[in-house]
Amino acid sequence: MARARTARVLGRRGALGRGLMTVPAALIYIGLMVVPVGYAVYYSFTEYNGIPSQTPEWVGLKNYTRIFTDPTGDMHSSLWVTGIIAVVGAFAVNAIALGLALLLRRTTPFTAFARAVMFYPHVLSALIVGFLWQAILGPQGAVNNLLTGSGRSALPFLSDPGWALATMIAVIVWAQLGVQLVLYLAGLQAVPADLQEAATLDGAGRVQVFQHVTWPALAPTVTVTIVTSVLSLLKVYEVVLGLTNGGPGDATQTWAYEILAVSFANNKVGLACAQAMLLIVVAGILSFTIIALRRRAEEGAEALS
Amino acid sequence: MSARFRRGAIGASALGLVPVLALTACSSDDGGGSSGVGDQVRMLVNITDNLTQAKWDELVAPFEEETGIDVKIEGPSGQSVAETFPTQLAAGTAPDVIQSIFPTEDTAPEILDLSDYDWAQGTPMADLYSTDGAINVVGVGMQAQSLLFYNKDLFEKAGISEPPATWEEMDAALKALQDEGVKKPIGFASEWATGVQVQEIWHPQQNLTTPGWQQAVAGGSSTLGDQFQPMFEHVADWIDAGYTTADDVATDSGTQEANFIAGDVGIYPMGSWFTTTLAGSPPEFEVGIFAPPVDDAADQPAPMGATMAFPYMVWNGTQAKDAATQLVEYLVTDEDAIAAQAEMDNFNREGLDTSANPYAGQVQELLDAAPSFVVPGNQTVGDFALPVAGFNEKFTEVAQGLWQGTLPADAAGQLTAWYDAEAAG
Repeated sequence: MARARTARVLGRRGALGRGLMTVPAALIYIGLMVVPVGYAVYYSFTEYNGIPSQTPEWVGLKNYTRIFTDPTGDMHSSLWVTGIIAVVGAFAVNAIALGLALLLRRTTPFTAFARAVMFYPHVLSALIVGFLWQAILGPQGAVNNLLTGSGRSALPFLSDPGWALATMIAVIVWAQLGVQLVLYLAGLQAVPADLQEAATLDGAGRVQVFQHVTWPALAPTVTVTIVTSVLSLLKVYEVVLGLTNGGPGDATQTWAYEILAVSFANNKVGLACAQAMLLIVVAGILSFTIIALRRRAEEGAEALS
Repeated sequence: MSARFRRGAIGASALGLVPVLALTACSSDDGGGSSGVGDQVRMLVNITDNLTQAKWDELVAPFEEETGIDVKIEGPSGQSVAETFPTQLAAGTAPDVIQSIFPTEDTAPEILDLSDYDWAQGTPMADLYSTDGAINVVGVGMQAQSLLFYNKDLFEKAGISEPPATWEEMDAALKALQDEGVKKPIGFASEWATGVQVQEIWHPQQNLTTPGWQQAVAGGSSTLGDQFQPMFEHVADWIDAGYTTADDVATDSGTQEANFIAGDVGIYPMGSWFTTTLAGSPPEFEVGIFAPPVDDAADQPAPMGATMAFPYMVWNGTQAKDAATQLVEYLVTDEDAIAAQAEMDNFNREGLDTSANPYAGQVQELLDAAPSFVVPGNQTVGDFALPVAGFNEKFTEVAQGLWQGTLPADAAGQLTAWYDAEAAG
């Protein structure tokens, strides 16, 4: 009985120590993440121009109403653009990254070099990526100079709204490929080699091995890559700035662009915070939905290992 | 053992708190005093191809030498000074002097009233930029906004003897240039330039039709759509005729200006600061400048669009008020400083020596002939201020839609809807 009591007391003291160890991290997290988000939630219900000497005016749901009714057509088109980028971009990034990972999974000097080259765009600042591709694909950029030089007509990569959106998705995919590639490479290392060998011995072709062994085993990795790619695609801003600055017209204005370059730039902090809240909510719902949908697949992967 | 563990845990958490406390200490240090104490003045300026960091440093060097005050030139941390200044205000790191922007309804309470300074009273365009007699922004001269630069050689080849004075003559001139094989009869450019150029061509006729149009819109007797639809119709006609293409509004102004200098553009609408670029890389052909066309030739010369050149304002929370106002006084009254600024980005001012810039003289002629000066739609201070923020950006977005097939009436409707939403909200 005394031993049990001592154990309980020791357990409590251990817990106290452990709790104290988390205090600094918790303080930093609360101070730098929770408090600003809390302020943003508050500001989203106010009209405020961000200048400290002026007080926010409580307006209730007015900012949210403005977003949903969208009298000027700005918000809904940005939502649409962001949605297209997130869906098409996520699919493209993951498909290409997985394909490349399958090609480069064996470690040879060539594949090591190729992996480094594929990862490099991720190292570049997103703004630089935007400017770089603008110089390559602009009306008088490198590609169009080659085309017009050889007698063909220039392509409207950045001057036609549809083309500009497609170009922007392609540029974003190019820039984000690196991270997803690394994740898939790591995931492929974890696929049980003996299962793949067994399947091959049983007469399965390459596609069948992929379909029935590799792909199910990759399930946790796929969840991570889909969630991370969707989340970063929802927040696209710097590439927009560098590549098209939202143009032509508003064809490439994303939600983050709307928040930073329109609402904040016009000192509409309340509206910007409401838009940001919406982004957080949508991102949260999407992430949890994807994770929930993937649960069955992940359980299957656990069974394999 | 548990006592040792507990001591260790408390020690660790205390250690962990140190960086957090240091952070708080640092931020409170930064809060009030970052504006410059005693001998330092921070100035936030626009950085462009003409206005480089080196040229700004050179501009303030004589002032620093004479007064011993250290001037720190800062470029925008965001996209522009207009975006950076409010952000810095919010962060508590506002600079002492701000160049290139004007006070807005939001920022006006943060700007120092300069009305009591004698030197501020005599500065150019002080009247157009004062609110109820109070001056809070001062400049060095006037930037003409309604200028159409043209390639005289191409005009001659196309058989155009006189620059166009009416819209009909303008359409005829553009057609002649196109028939002659000129790649870009009229050169519009992307981003900010699209909106500014379309507005620039429209200033004269707009102000003939509705003098003080901003007040008419603010007062409700006119709408933004009504104001700009006729100009949208002109642009749509030019687009349909092929005088300008969608590629133009995806080409940045630097590249389009290079195209003009290379002889590929017939007419290039731009403000007077373009003369500095021309003077720096003179084209092989002769450049002419004419004022935008109007409906009736009898109305020429018409009001000329103009803005204050090199506007400066002082933050009223500055801890170096005397030094900051001394710097602004130097920049707007010292003859050498004014001449240096004119070299950086050309503007017009009475008595200014324009011999270094051959195009400035042509601009001066047009300014002398103009019966009055009118300010653009993004004016945020004074009697001709529209009560909305972000006019230029929205106008650019709407105008670019014309190149994508948006009908002029629909574009005009978009402008009006935007104004109504912004003015109400």
